[in-house]
Amino acid sequence: MRTWYRNLDYGALLLWIILVSIGLVAIYSATSGRAEEFLLDSVQNSFERQLLWLGICGVGLVTALLFPVRWYQQMAYPLYAVSVLLLAAALFFGREVGGARSWLYIGPLGFQSSELAKIGVLLAVSQLIASRREMALSAGQVLATIAVIALPASLVVMQNDAGTALVYAGLIPVYLFWGGIPLNILLLIASPVIAGYLTIVSLPAAFAFAALISLFLYWRSRYVTMLVLGAVLNVGIIAGARFAIERLLQPHQVARIMSFANPEAEEFRQGVGFHLVQSKAAIGAGGLFGQGFMQGTQTQGRYIPEQSTDFIFSVIGEEWGFVGAVLVIILLSLFILRIVRMGAQIRHPFGSMVAAGAAGAFTIHVFINVGMVLGLLPVIGIPLPFLSYGGSALLTNTGMLAIVLALYMRRDDYSVYAYPRSRLRGGDYVVAGA
Amino acid sequence: MHESRFSIFTGIIVAGACILGAQLVHLQIINQDEFSRVSRGNALRTMRVLPARGAIYDRNGVLLVHNEPMYTVTLTPRYFDTARTPLLAEILDVPDSVITARYQEALKWNRYRPSPAFYDVGFARYSRIKENAFRLPGVEEETNQKRRYLGKSKAAHALGYLREIDDSELDAQRLSGNEARYQLGDLTGKTGVEREYEGFLRGIPGSALKVINIYGLVVHSYMEGREDLAPQSGLDIHLALDDGVQALAESLFVEKRGAAVALDVNTGGIIAMVSQPDFLPATFSRPLEDSTWRYLTSSSDKPLYNRATMNLMPPGSTWKPFMSLMALSEGLIEPEGPNSTIFCPGYHPVGGGRIFRCLEAHGEQTLVQALQNSCNTFFFELGKRMDLSAFHRLANSFGFGVAAPTDLREQTSGLIPDSAYFNARDPAWGIGTVMNLGIGQGNMGVTPLQLARYTAAIASGGTLPAPHLVEYLERPDTGERIVPEVAGHSEEIPVAAEYFELVRHGMRMVMEQGSGRASQIPGIPTGGKTGTAQAPQEMEDHSVFVMFAPYDDPQIAIAVQCENTGQGAWCAAPIASLLAERYLTGEMPSFPNVRWQRALAAASQDTAE
Repeated sequence: MRTWYRNLDYGALLLWIILVSIGLVAIYSATSGRAEEFLLDSVQNSFERQLLWLGICGVGLVTALLFPVRWYQQMAYPLYAVSVLLLAAALFFGREVGGARSWLYIGPLGFQSSELAKIGVLLAVSQLIASRREMALSAGQVLATIAVIALPASLVVMQNDAGTALVYAGLIPVYLFWGGIPLNILLLIASPVIAGYLTIVSLPAAFAFAALISLFLYWRSRYVTMLVLGAVLNVGIIAGARFAIERLLQPHQVARIMSFANPEAEEFRQGVGFHLVQSKAAIGAGGLFGQGFMQGTQTQGRYIPEQSTDFIFSVIGEEWGFVGAVLVIILLSLFILRIVRMGAQIRHPFGSMVAAGAAGAFTIHVFINVGMVLGLLPVIGIPLPFLSYGGSALLTNTGMLAIVLALYMRRDDYSVYAYPRSRLRGGDYVVAGA
Repeated sequence: MHESRFSIFTGIIVAGACILGAQLVHLQIINQDEFSRVSRGNALRTMRVLPARGAIYDRNGVLLVHNEPMYTVTLTPRYFDTARTPLLAEILDVPDSVITARYQEALKWNRYRPSPAFYDVGFARYSRIKENAFRLPGVEEETNQKRRYLGKSKAAHALGYLREIDDSELDAQRLSGNEARYQLGDLTGKTGVEREYEGFLRGIPGSALKVINIYGLVVHSYMEGREDLAPQSGLDIHLALDDGVQALAESLFVEKRGAAVALDVNTGGIIAMVSQPDFLPATFSRPLEDSTWRYLTSSSDKPLYNRATMNLMPPGSTWKPFMSLMALSEGLIEPEGPNSTIFCPGYHPVGGGRIFRCLEAHGEQTLVQALQNSCNTFFFELGKRMDLSAFHRLANSFGFGVAAPTDLREQTSGLIPDSAYFNARDPAWGIGTVMNLGIGQGNMGVTPLQLARYTAAIASGGTLPAPHLVEYLERPDTGERIVPEVAGHSEEIPVAAEYFELVRHGMRMVMEQGSGRASQIPGIPTGGKTGTAQAPQEMEDHSVFVMFAPYDDPQIAIAVQCENTGQGAWCAAPIASLLAERYLTGEMPSFPNVRWQRALAAASQDTAE
C-alpha cells in the first residue's frame, strides 16, 4: 500500500481545525455565557450540538479521503439529482425555520437541504465543465453551466431563502472564470453586480462606475460592441435596481436592502437597522484587544440577533478585538488561498474545478457574511463557514474541503482518459480570447 | 492558464480581505470611542445602591427605629411554570386564583421582567421559596428595606413616617442640587423627625455598574464592580425622648383625646410627646390599604394631626402663674406690704357679681394664696389692672403667640390677643374682655408644647428653652457627633428671679394643699397648676395641667391637655404626675390605676367641698 497520506494537505487541515476551534469558542461565549438563561432552550446547548456535528464531520472527512477520484466523477450527476430531489422535497415536506422552508427531518435529525445540495451542485458543474472536448468554453456549455446552477438556485428561492440562492448564483462567474471564459466577457457579466451594489450606496458612484467599466472594456478589447454592451448592462441594472426599490419591492424588503448604508436612520431603527447598529457597536467596542472571553457586553446582553449563527463574527470582534478579528480574516483568506492553490496544482480539470468551486463558495460566504456584519453589505442571512453555529453548513463546508483534499491527495491518480485532448498533444492550456 | 487565473483569484481574495481589514480599522481603532459609547449606552446601566437609613435611638440609647429587610416575591412570566401554581400558593398561603391573577398582571406588564407580586412576605416564606427555587422557575425575590419600630412606645408624631417622594419634593431636591439623591418611588420622611432630619437620615446613594441585556435584565457586574461607588449610610439620631415615659404616656391616653408634652427643664429636650388619637408608624412600612389611608387622612379622629404642637385651647387656670409674674414685674401687685393682697368676696364686683364669679369667697388673698386656691377674683382684678400691650409682650417672651425655635416642623403659634386684635373683631370691647384673659379664658389659644415650655421656664427661674426632639446625630462609621443648633438654644425672660421664686412657691402650694393635692408624687415635692379650659357650647370642659418636678432641682416640665374630661385635677393632673414619677425614678409607678382612681376621687371631693 502506498503512503497515500503523504500527499494530504496538512496545512489546509490545520487551518480548518483552528477555524472550527475559534468558532466553537465564540459559540460557547454566545450561547453558554451569561446570555444563556435568556436564550431559548433549543439554543442553549448549541455548543454541545456543534461539537457533535464536528464529530460527524470528522468521520465524514476521513471517509471522503478513502474514495478514489473516479468515484467522485461517477457520483457527480447522481448526487446532483439527489440534491435537487431533496430541495424539492423540502418544499413539500420541509419545516420552516426562520422564514425559510429548507429543513428536512429524518427522525430527530434535521438538516438544511439548501446547504447539503451545494456539494451535489459543485460536483455536477465540475464534471460538466471537465467533460468538455475543447479547451474553450462553448456558448452551449456556458448555458448548461448556468442551467445546472439555476435549477437548484430557483428551488432555494422558492424555499424563501434568497441569501443562499445568491451564493448559488455567485458560483456561476466563479466556474466560468476558472473554466476559462474570456475575462472581458466575465467582466461584462460581473460588473453589473458592482453597479447594483453602488446603486444602493450612492447613485453618482454607480453611474461613474458604469462609465469607467465600459471604457475599460473598450480599452481591453478594442471593440465598440463591448463598450455599448457594458454601458447598456450597467445602466440597465442601475435603472432596474432603482425601479425595484422604488416601485416593485415591499417596504420591508427595501429596508433590508437599504438599511446597511445608513442603519441609524429613523425608519430602520426598529428592524434590520437595529441589528446592524448593534453589530457595529459590538465590533467597535471591541477595540484593539477586545473585551475578553465571555466579557462582551453586547454579546452577553444578547443585543445582536443570530449572534451564534450569522453574526458570530461580531462576537469575535467584540470579545477578541481587532487582533482577533483580523486574525480570523487572515486565517480564512489563507485557507481559501490554499484551496485555490490546490485547484491550480491539480492538473485534472475535474479536480481543479471542484477546488476552484469550493474556494469560490467559501469566498462568497466569507465576504458576504463579514461584509454584512461590518455594515458594508446589506443583511443577507448566510453563515460564516466553519465558525457559525449550524450543523448542515459545517457538514457541507467540511465535505467540500474533504473532497478537495481527497482529489488533491490523489492528484497523480487521474485516468489519462479524463484529460482534455489538447493536454495529450503536449500543449499547455491556451484559452481563446483570453 | 491557471497560473494567471490563480493570480487573479488570489488578488480578489487579498483585496477583499484588505477591504474587510480596513473596515475593521475604521470600526475598532479609529471610531472605537464612538462605538464603545453606543455599546456602553445600551449594555451598561448605573444602578443605584440605596444607603442604609439612619437609626433612631431614645435618650437612654434604646433603639427605637432601624431598618429591616422586606422580602418581595416577584414573578417573571417568561419562566414561570404555571403547573407550579399550587406549590407557590401553598408556600404563600393564598388561594391558587390569587397566584393566577398576579401572573396575568405580570404578563400584561412584561414577559421578561420580574414584576413584584407579593409584598413583604416575611422571612419564613422567603426562605421556603429559596429552598424550592429549583421547583419554582420565574419566581424570585427582591429585598428592600423598610422601617422597623422596636420601641415600647409608638411615638408616632415625634418619629413621623415615610412615604414615596412626590413631584414637588423631587423638584425641590432638584433645585437644591440634590437630584442624584432621589428618584421617583424613593421613600422620604413626611412628618416628624423623619422629615425634619431627612437630609441626615437618608445618606448618599452609591452606584453599581451592571451589564444589562436586551430585555433590561441585569446580567452581571461590570468589571467585577471596580467602578462601583459604595453608598454612604445616613446618620443615626439620638432623641431626647424617653421610650419608657412615652410608652406610659400613650397608655394613659387610651380612649382619650388630647396631648401631653414633657420637656427636659435644663435642655428643652422633649422627653415625651403624645397626641391622641395617633397611628402606628409601622403602618407605613408596607404599601397602605386604601381604607387605612382614608382613615388616616379623612377620619374625624385626625390621627395624623399633632395635637401636642397644633391644638389651640385657652390655658384656663394654668395661666395664673403667668399672670402673677406679669403683675409682679409690672408692679400691679407687691410681694408684700399694703399692696400685696386682694379681697375676694366670691366674685369680682365688675358686672355685679353674676358675671365674674369665683369658686368661693376666699377673703383677703396674697398672691401665693391666690395661686393655691386658684382664686378667680384675684386674677380678674389683675386683668383689670393690666396694660394689654405689656401682657402681650410678656406672653410673647414666654413663648406664647409665637413659633418656638424647634426641630418640630409642624407647630402653631397660638393666639395672644392685643388691642389691635380686639379692635378688629369687636370695636365695642371693654374691660370685661380683658379681665377674662386674667384667668386664661376667652380669646386665647395655646398649645401643649407652649404650656410645657412656659412651665420649664418657671421651673428654671426664667430660662425659656427651645423644645427639640433630637439631642445629637452620630455618623455610624466614625462616631462623629453633630448637635443641632436648636438643642443649645435658650432665651432669658425679663422677669426678676425673686418673682419666679414666689410663683414657684405658689405652685408648690397648689400641689401640697390646693387642687393638685391628690396628684402629688410620694416623696418628691413638685409644683403645678390645674386648669379648666372652657369648651364651646354644651361640651364638657377640657382638663389642663402643668407641672414641674422635683421642686428644688427641676428636671422635667409637663403640660397635659385632656379634651372634654372636665377639671384639670380629674384627668390631666394624674397623667402628668405619673409621667414625672416614671421619669424621675426610672420605674413604673406602682399601681398607677389605683393611684389614679384615688386621685380622681379626692379631686372630685375637693370640688364638692
